[in-house]
Amino acid sequence: MSNKPRIEELEAEHTPEEAALTMRLSVFVTLRWLAIIGVVVATLVASQVFNIDFPTRPVYIICPFVAIYNLVFFYQLRSLKREGPGLVIHKARRYGNIHIFLDLLTLTVILHFTGGIENPFVFFYVFHIILASIALHYRVVYVAATAALIMVAVLVSLEYTGAIPHVNLAGFAEPGLYKEGSYILAVLVALTAVLYGSAYMATAISGELRKRQRQVVQIREQLIEEKIGELEQASREVNKLEEEKSRFLQFLSIAAHDLKAPLTAIQGFLWVMLDGYAGEINDKQRHMLDRSTRRIKELLNLISDLLDIPRIETGQILPEIKEISLRQVFRNCLPEQRDLAKEKGIKLDVELPEALPKIRGSGPRLQQVITNLVDNAISYTSEGIVTLRVEEKDKHVQVEITDTGIGIPPEDLPQIFDDFFRASNVEARGTGLGLSITKRIVEAHGGKIWCESPCLDTNQGTRFTFTLPKGKNVRRGK
Amino acid sequence: MQKKAKILIVDDDVDFIESTKIILESKPYEVIVAHEGDEGLRKAREESPDLILLDVIMPTKDGFTAAEQLKKEPELSKIPVLMLTAFSSKRSETSIPVSRGYTLDVEDYIEKPVSPEELLARIERYLGT
Repeated sequence: MSNKPRIEELEAEHTPEEAALTMRLSVFVTLRWLAIIGVVVATLVASQVFNIDFPTRPVYIICPFVAIYNLVFFYQLRSLKREGPGLVIHKARRYGNIHIFLDLLTLTVILHFTGGIENPFVFFYVFHIILASIALHYRVVYVAATAALIMVAVLVSLEYTGAIPHVNLAGFAEPGLYKEGSYILAVLVALTAVLYGSAYMATAISGELRKRQRQVVQIREQLIEEKIGELEQASREVNKLEEEKSRFLQFLSIAAHDLKAPLTAIQGFLWVMLDGYAGEINDKQRHMLDRSTRRIKELLNLISDLLDIPRIETGQILPEIKEISLRQVFRNCLPEQRDLAKEKGIKLDVELPEALPKIRGSGPRLQQVITNLVDNAISYTSEGIVTLRVEEKDKHVQVEITDTGIGIPPEDLPQIFDDFFRASNVEARGTGLGLSITKRIVEAHGGKIWCESPCLDTNQGTRFTFTLPKGKNVRRGK
Repeated sequence: MQKKAKILIVDDDVDFIESTKIILESKPYEVIVAHEGDEGLRKAREESPDLILLDVIMPTKDGFTAAEQLKKEPELSKIPVLMLTAFSSKRSETSIPVSRGYTLDVEDYIEKPVSPEELLARIERYLGT
């Protein structure tokens, strides 16, 4: 097989009607090859087997002519199949019209050399009519039928009047048959009936077929239009959602500011009083002001946390994500954590490999994750060690934060990452959103986070583990 | 006695101004006040303060626009500008809604609320006292 593209592939752009038409004309070319063989075989059989005596040479001479024009048709069709869509039907029909009239003429000439009206093959015109109605315009079919009848009539009258010689199929037909008016009339009437009758029936069927083909195309176009409409609708909806999202985030920003501003003002006054700028305060007042600042801090944290969730969930992290160094992230948040651990008298053990792959992430958000998990570990551990271990795995970097603290009750473990959830064995301190935000951030980075309590290996404390996928183009960075 | 450093506070929150003024005047700094961006710009030109505390979200002219203008005027561009914001600046760059603020060439960002010690420490850093 050659590597040249096949005809069928080149036809791909044609409509079903166009493809069917060119396919049928190809069938005609094939049938014509068979017809040539048929004529040769029939002539041989008639003369050799049935001993019908007539000059066979003219028939054999006609056959190569038919072969030549069939070859021309063959190449015409090949060029037609490469034609772009649109003009194909018009061109193919024009070729087909020429084919059919050449064929009618050829059959008439062959008939002339093989007995004229005596030859029962005079009814073979019916095949031309049927083939024409399959492929060509219905008017052409009636014209072809009429042309066939005229050709036969002319042939018969010319032979009848002796204007051209008559060839008698000696041994098959009576020598005087071609001059018998009633016989000629009967044959012509029968032929007329057969040709027009078959023209009518065949064009009716093929017309219906073509109508269906056009309907198929129409339906397909309709479906495509509908799909395009649906897509446009969907894209409009996506745009609307994007707009709503940005409006929502804008709203959140303003809400955040307006919620924080009065708290900030209150906090300012409280600090002024606490620091003695507004005169001496007694211990009872100091205690109350202290509590007030703590409650305001809580509220400010809650506002920040509440606003974080929609920001993460609407993908606001994405623009922040870039290639970052994990070591830098740890370097940024560990000093504060060390101070915190020191204050509580807890050992903070950090196992950080010398070389870590770069990852794609948001530095400030990952700092938030680590700060939150280490803060929790320190808060819920009264004595012992908090261990931060970073390991490079096959496809990700794994971070473990292990403590020797109070642990999480087994019944609370499944809800530990839920919004506003606080474990039952701790006094309510945070917003209950820390871990749920942490989980959202890790997942927005394509990572996973999980928790075990007690730790499987030491049977005490709690371990949080999260993973971060390594960047596609992993480079080693210190 | 050394001349008191002059600090311009531009903020639309009168309560925040009141408490901040008490803290700053105790240092002692001389404090002048403006309540929105345009007034801030005008006071900056008139009084040539040594440092400006500029709030981000204000009516008529916001802090970012005011800071941009301040930094464009040769006379004023040398004055250190500390931007104050109730938006979290610690967590992420984009949590500030107008992210162009981060490309602005101001001296520092301070997240509200800020404790008196922290505020004074930052101011001292830029006044060089």
